Amino acid sequence: MKRITIDPITRLEGHGKIEIFLDDEGNVDNAYLQIPELRGFEQFSVGRPAEEMPRITNRICGVCPEAHHMAGTKALDALFQVEPPSVVKKIRELFYSAFYCTDHTVHFYALGAPDFIIGPEGPPAERNILGVIHKVGVDIGKQVIACRKRNHEVIQWLGGRGIHPVAGLPGGWSVAVTEEMRKEIEVFARQNIDFALFSLQLFEDVVLGNQAYVDLILSDTFAHSTYYMGTVDENNHINFYDGKIRVTDPEGKEFVKYDAKDYTQHIAEHVEPWSYLKFPYLKGVGWKGFTDGMDSGIYCATPLSRLNAADGMATPQAQEFFEKFYETLGSKKTNGRYAPVHARLATHWARLIELLYAAERMLELATDPEITDPKVRTPITTTPKEGVGSVEAPRGTLTHHYQTDEKGILTKVNLVVGTTNNNAPITMSIKKAAQGLITKGTEVREGILNTIEMAFRNYDPCMSCATHSLPGQMPLEVIIRDTNGEVLDRLSQFIE
Amino acid sequence: MKTLVVGLGNPILTDDGVGVKAAFEIEAQLSEEERQSIAITEASVGGLRLMELMIGYERVILIDAIQHTNGYKHPTGTIFTLSADDLRNISPTQHSASAHDTSLITALEMAKRIGMPIPREISIYAVEVENILEFNDQPTPAVAAAIPKVTAMVLEELRLSPKSSG
Repeated sequence: MKRITIDPITRLEGHGKIEIFLDDEGNVDNAYLQIPELRGFEQFSVGRPAEEMPRITNRICGVCPEAHHMAGTKALDALFQVEPPSVVKKIRELFYSAFYCTDHTVHFYALGAPDFIIGPEGPPAERNILGVIHKVGVDIGKQVIACRKRNHEVIQWLGGRGIHPVAGLPGGWSVAVTEEMRKEIEVFARQNIDFALFSLQLFEDVVLGNQAYVDLILSDTFAHSTYYMGTVDENNHINFYDGKIRVTDPEGKEFVKYDAKDYTQHIAEHVEPWSYLKFPYLKGVGWKGFTDGMDSGIYCATPLSRLNAADGMATPQAQEFFEKFYETLGSKKTNGRYAPVHARLATHWARLIELLYAAERMLELATDPEITDPKVRTPITTTPKEGVGSVEAPRGTLTHHYQTDEKGILTKVNLVVGTTNNNAPITMSIKKAAQGLITKGTEVREGILNTIEMAFRNYDPCMSCATHSLPGQMPLEVIIRDTNGEVLDRLSQFIE
Repeated sequence: MKTLVVGLGNPILTDDGVGVKAAFEIEAQLSEEERQSIAITEASVGGLRLMELMIGYERVILIDAIQHTNGYKHPTGTIFTLSADDLRNISPTQHSASAHDTSLITALEMAKRIGMPIPREISIYAVEVENILEFNDQPTPAVAAAIPKVTAMVLEELRLSPKSSG
């Protein structure tokens, strides 16, 4: 048996490794994504006041501190049984929409788009945001940076800090929106809408206008027929900040809809000896191994899954693109619902539709007459015990669960982070891509590595390659070993 | 010269927070006058977001944790001084494989390409670390011992006449 390791050498949050095991024939037997466990978070948290959690958890990872801050803040609302004023929910959602605009933008332009604009087989030195600028023009680079800048300003105003926000309080938010702020945010939101529409047009021109890419997106190599999870509002439209968690089955029917606090009734975690990271699955279906279909409890929680789990988008222009998405990808409508799209690479398109929704929602909130209401706190009158809060992180449903003593000191903490939801689907996607690309006698080349990476990159996993580490990159190494562990061949990209 | 010092890392992940702790220490030791031209910040970000923090400063000093993975073991607490060019050499400079962002070097190249004012001088202080997998707000002893040293080195650089202050 041979073993191929795709090893991102950098450390920390991002230190993941792909191992591919070949059978005696040289075909792919199994493939695993391994992520080292960050240990001791619960021990670190227990004994601290619960209200510190939104500020502590936003340190877990440098990629989505805003999502942790928000899930933590909502968990505190539940813990202290306090309903925030309506304006607070709107300010939080406004802040969160700005965060989505930056996060989805960077994923598309730095990671998703290069595969299509430069091509999956393109030289790695060009397959990045610089290559995109080179092909599409300097103006696109300026637009990406401008989009991030204006939304980071909103995050800083509303979050109290630029990078690790601090504004969330149980039952409140420590920043009220002034009229001056509101006016600027309104301008920014309109610019975000224009930018999202531009990005969708770019996707249409570059990707949908190229039959080879459409074929790639729709190819069986990148398809899995799983259950889909997403948070929806009362109309079953996507909402990133609040709602019920809805799961639909591989044929598109609603399987279950529940409140975040009931997550343990619906989600269980499977453990594999080779991975620290657990594999969540639907209790109501059961764990059947790394396989898809109606009988397997594996679900996916991504932009694609949110579209699949919803009946539509809550804003008009995003809704138009929602319909276009399903019509273009050949999905039929039954009983008012489109059949799910299982093509994982379509996640990149879904992400841009979500970008447009976030921008439109930001405008709605920025022009809401209530948004400048200065009453941003509901007093706490109860004794805390237990609370669950969840939001849609850009890369999947994020759940925080805290238990405390009567003084609000933490006794138990559980987090189900976005990427964990997708652990099983990512594993399946890597295996399927590897099986499609590596067969007996294949010489493993860079293009193959990149295509396998594409299989997991579309999930935007938050084992984000040590965003702040040196050298701050994710070099890849493939090691092919025989059954005794002897290295037969070594192929690396960008390793010192 | 308008200068930014960034302590990088996660302050609650044992040794990973070495840069953040050193940055706070540096801030405490600066005089009122020095604070007029030197900004100190901490961040656990990289790539585009780190580049964006640097815009508008003439000189940037980064302090971070490093773990060599090329098989040659450096003693924990060893302090390395690197330039942006060094980073370019040890780093896969133009690779898009990062899971959610791009490298600092690529981000800086991009800023240059689109005409943003990137710093003229970037220097990096990197401390070899041991434990970056466990949540703890205290670093291991060898890394803790390196904090006053790296603090002194950065202060010395800040207080020397800038090389290219023309």
